[in-house]
Amino acid sequence: MASEAIISAAAEVPAAKALSCPSCGGTLSLKAAGYTVSIACVYCGSILDVANDDVRLITEYHRQAAELEIPLGTRGRLKGVEWEAIGYVERSEGGAYPWSEYLLFNPYHGYRWLITNGRGWSFGEMLTRTPGAGHGSLVLDGHGYAPFFRGGRAQVDYVLGEFYWRVRVGEEVVTDDWVRPGFMLSREQNAQEVSWTVSELLSPREIRGAFGVRPPRKPWPPLPHQPSPYAGDMKKLVWTGVGTALFVFLLLVVMGSGSTLLRGNLPYALDGTSRTATLGPITATRPYQAIAINAHVPQLDNAWVDLDYALVDRKTQASYEAYGLAERYSGRDSDGDWSEGSRSAEVKLAAVPAGTYDLVVDYSAQRWNSGLSANTGFVSALTPDQREISVRVSSGSFFGSNALIALILLFLPLLFFLHRHVKFEQARQDESDVGRTGMARLFTSSDDD
Amino acid sequence: MQTFACPNCGADVSFRSPALPVRICDHCRSMIVRRGDALNALGKAAVLPFDVSPIMIGTRGRFEDRPFEVIGRVRWGWTDGSWNEWLLLFGDGSNAWLGEAMGQYLLLREWPLDRVQTQMIRRLAAGERLPAGTSGELDGRPLTIVDARDATCIAAEGELPYTAPANWTIYSVDLRGTDGSVASLQRDGEQADLYVGRYVSLAELAPTGLRRIEGWQVPTYGQ
Repeated sequence: MASEAIISAAAEVPAAKALSCPSCGGTLSLKAAGYTVSIACVYCGSILDVANDDVRLITEYHRQAAELEIPLGTRGRLKGVEWEAIGYVERSEGGAYPWSEYLLFNPYHGYRWLITNGRGWSFGEMLTRTPGAGHGSLVLDGHGYAPFFRGGRAQVDYVLGEFYWRVRVGEEVVTDDWVRPGFMLSREQNAQEVSWTVSELLSPREIRGAFGVRPPRKPWPPLPHQPSPYAGDMKKLVWTGVGTALFVFLLLVVMGSGSTLLRGNLPYALDGTSRTATLGPITATRPYQAIAINAHVPQLDNAWVDLDYALVDRKTQASYEAYGLAERYSGRDSDGDWSEGSRSAEVKLAAVPAGTYDLVVDYSAQRWNSGLSANTGFVSALTPDQREISVRVSSGSFFGSNALIALILLFLPLLFFLHRHVKFEQARQDESDVGRTGMARLFTSSDDD
Repeated sequence: MQTFACPNCGADVSFRSPALPVRICDHCRSMIVRRGDALNALGKAAVLPFDVSPIMIGTRGRFEDRPFEVIGRVRWGWTDGSWNEWLLLFGDGSNAWLGEAMGQYLLLREWPLDRVQTQMIRRLAAGERLPAGTSGELDGRPLTIVDARDATCIAAEGELPYTAPANWTIYSVDLRGTDGSVASLQRDGEQADLYVGRYVSLAELAPTGLRRIEGWQVPTYGQ
């Protein structure tokens, strides 16, 4: 006798139980025997009660069952588990905003839901605990959910297949929904009880792989719990931007002034005469470097200094030329004191190859012969030897202007993504009962509302 | 394990638990009650209706690091459905119930009702009928009645702490907390019993010896 028990324990039990519809006589295969309470006959739509051992006809229908996108009995693998679609419910809010729910079953994993409104598919699981309250949101497993739909009334419009509760067309529940990117938390309440479901948005690839249905790639308006496709790019761009900006800043700090290769002073007079001076040697050691030549004229006022530079390689006589101008004017008019220009002039030579160079400077200085400035002109008390242009040649200097352009180029796409992200979030949140929040609200202009 | 001959059909019947008084004969479905060494057959248990529960007598698992074995089951029905209550025997001889309904599992242990001070539970135990939605607490934790109905024993198998005759009707109240904790009060006339526990997942129990159901892959849980 004991051996008989062991044999039966090792044997497989059938997965389904056959029964016949008392209305149309069709043979039905009960997939969740022991759990199923109601069946809507897949042939005639009649609703049957199998809560007890017999099959009782609750509501008789004689109609062709709906053709489903996922025929009942179809199996598919989602999140690593195989599921069979055993029930189908069509619901709406008083006939508007229809959506469909498939009841999925696996005897070892229980029930799940597959929910679609035609624009996307979600995989739902009933919760056995109640979410906690956060700041104007709900918290489940450490994730915050923002309110989205409030006080909806969901009614059952059509049923097919088997269910673990007593289904009734027309049955109504009050629904509320909260979202976080990729997930929706739903509360349903009837007179007796409150139930909570969390559903995860499936990627088109996941649902196609599991049940062969093809949802639209980019539903518009977006689904309530659809993550902004731009948020990820934006995050990456922000981090790349911040990283690059830091790097550029570091470059500016470390290399901005560069290492000084040479300092020299050039005497001048404000007489317009051209002078030539040669400063050297200047040794550039790296294969290529940027060379900056900075001229500073301390006492310059209402005058200018022209500087023609030629950086000449001692070996090859190759010459790199640049032009600099220091000019400074000041005076007084009806608006008061004014000044413009700079006593310094910096020029840059990009990509100078390694070598030993001389800097040949052709320069001249001239007073600004304006009647206005005549009395405020050059202070003649200065001795000629104080009139010197100090020249500094440095290498490796990082071009600040280039850095700025780099940063702008970097942040332009960010602005673009921000724009797209805000448009997406606005379209998504405009579907909700709560309205726009966060960035979508921040960027809402008055005519946009 | 003690083995006896069924007083009705003579087949071997074994008691895995030394303490439980009732055993349903696997062969003739007689309900056998033992008092000391004396065995009496008290009528017959109904045949269990077919279901696709993955649990069966002999399934083993662990709950909070303590191994158990499934040794009995009662199937209850009410107007809108039915559910299983599996009796678990732990290594220390204690037992617990694994409730199985709507594809979800609850693990419950008996809770001394005479020590319960809170109003709602006391009123239920005293014979009151409270509607779903009534809130109260037990031992500081909030509980709400989610279901209160008459339940009828459909069938039973294996070892049980009580006789479970078919058509035996009790008043059954299910209570839920917010954190997955649950309680169940079962009342039969004057006698009330309270069970307290929480929702569990099959994966968490890491069961072995699950029932094999045709066409479905039995999950293997890391042991």
